[in-house]
Amino acid sequence: MTLASASVSRTRATGASVRLAILLFVADPQWLVPSTIAPIVFGLVSFELFRGEGPYFLTYAILGAGMMSMWGQTLYGSGWATGQDRFLGTLEPTIQAPAPYLYVVLGRIIWNVVAGLFGGLIVYLVVVIAAGGPPQLPNPLLFVVLFVFVMVTLASVGVVFAAAFVYSRYAGFIQNVGEFAFYIGTGCMFPVVLLPFWTNPIALLFPPTWALDALRYVSIPGYTGFAWGWGWDLFGAVAVTAVYAAVAGTVFDRVERHVLESGQLSDY
Amino acid sequence: METTWHGPYRPAFWRAFWTNAILAPRTSLGFMRVDFVLGTIFVIPLTQMVFFAFVVQLGNGGAAQIAFTAVGNAVATVTYSSVFSVCQTTDTEKQQGTMEHLLVSPANRIALYLGRGLIPILISFATVTVGLAYAALLFGVSIPLSTVPGLAVSVVLTAMAMVGFGLLLGGVALYLRTSIILGNIFLFIGLLLSGVNFPVTNLPVPLQYLGDALPLTWGLSAIRGAIAGDSLGALGVLWSAVALSGLVSVGLAMALWGFFERRALATGSIARF
Repeated sequence: MTLASASVSRTRATGASVRLAILLFVADPQWLVPSTIAPIVFGLVSFELFRGEGPYFLTYAILGAGMMSMWGQTLYGSGWATGQDRFLGTLEPTIQAPAPYLYVVLGRIIWNVVAGLFGGLIVYLVVVIAAGGPPQLPNPLLFVVLFVFVMVTLASVGVVFAAAFVYSRYAGFIQNVGEFAFYIGTGCMFPVVLLPFWTNPIALLFPPTWALDALRYVSIPGYTGFAWGWGWDLFGAVAVTAVYAAVAGTVFDRVERHVLESGQLSDY
Repeated sequence: METTWHGPYRPAFWRAFWTNAILAPRTSLGFMRVDFVLGTIFVIPLTQMVFFAFVVQLGNGGAAQIAFTAVGNAVATVTYSSVFSVCQTTDTEKQQGTMEHLLVSPANRIALYLGRGLIPILISFATVTVGLAYAALLFGVSIPLSTVPGLAVSVVLTAMAMVGFGLLLGGVALYLRTSIILGNIFLFIGLLLSGVNFPVTNLPVPLQYLGDALPLTWGLSAIRGAIAGDSLGALGVLWSAVALSGLVSVGLAMALWGFFERRALATGSIARF
């Protein structure tokens, strides 16, 4: 018998985690609903508030609502991944396993990204039906590519949250209280440049802020976002996402070591 | 067996009421810590109001529309503590395995459920009050001192009616596998149907009727009326509507709990999560 290498073991852990996440979703797909209700309502409210302001305001409403849905599914789903383990009593065994916990969480996040796209699609369809037609998109292909990229930036924030929530039993509360703050800070429904200038550097700490600005530049003619344009937005999004990924890896490593040393993981 | 006559004072009733009022926030309602409560009262109203104010600004809405939205969202945030939390109690009871014990308990049900609603009513009252303070201080909403008494009555009635509505949803949730979807729907649907961000008359007529079924719609109308300095007669009509919606909600909640309790005891299946 030969021992599998570390990379094989980690890949297998991530694969099994994706498979389990899919099975859990298929067993109870109603969990997609809560993450789509608020975005649909917000999308319809925004559409009503933007009524008569021009064809591209529908894009604002759809983009914002779709982002909220994906935000809910991806960020909350990923952040809650640890909370769910804690709740079900599987956190200790998972952390004790030879494969690093990060690779287990990674599998859930991959599935959450896919589920987030489903949620975004549902929201898109509902708002488009309410509006009576789809939004005008100057470059649909680039829009789709950037849309998927935005998901990746959201997932990167989710990984950091998941790592931090190993320590905290207040994950759900922090997410609920911080929900609107994230929507505001990342410019989900409106450009961040509308906010007071001092808030802009804080907003730029979040990868989705950059990615959303780029997405609006390519989908809304005449859009006024950050002065550096969508090319630098994209560069910034990639850079900040990479930093998040690195931070998440380091934090997970330290969190794992800390909880194994302190033995306080099961305190709930 | 000797029975004791307690007159109008019924110790068992009030014991059940106060025990639930004190324990429920720490158990089934999820208000475990002070920072939870402070976040609900001070952070959620502010961020929600700021969010919609900027959406209005993007849509070229003026100061009057921002003020309208600010008041609406100041009141709408009451749903977090009154509807969402109260509705979730059923799930929590099922998850914690206490539902079976509750169902076989001889405790007076009215005392039990109304007791549960006491702290949410107080938190809801505080949430709307803080939200309206934000509206006045940050969003240019004019609230003359002379309107404060009428406003206070409107806010108290709204908080009570909304908690009654939360109890009703909790009753429905007893039959469901989970109440999270129900909770999420009614957490946000008021933003669309209750005249929070735009007048209800902008909605198609069927949706206006749906909005009329929500206590938030009437509570918000009463609060807007009080701020506008409406006459006592006009406010009285709105107060009656708010109170009626709350009473109907509580009545339906008790009926539902009674019905599902009997069903649970007969089939032994409902208490399972």
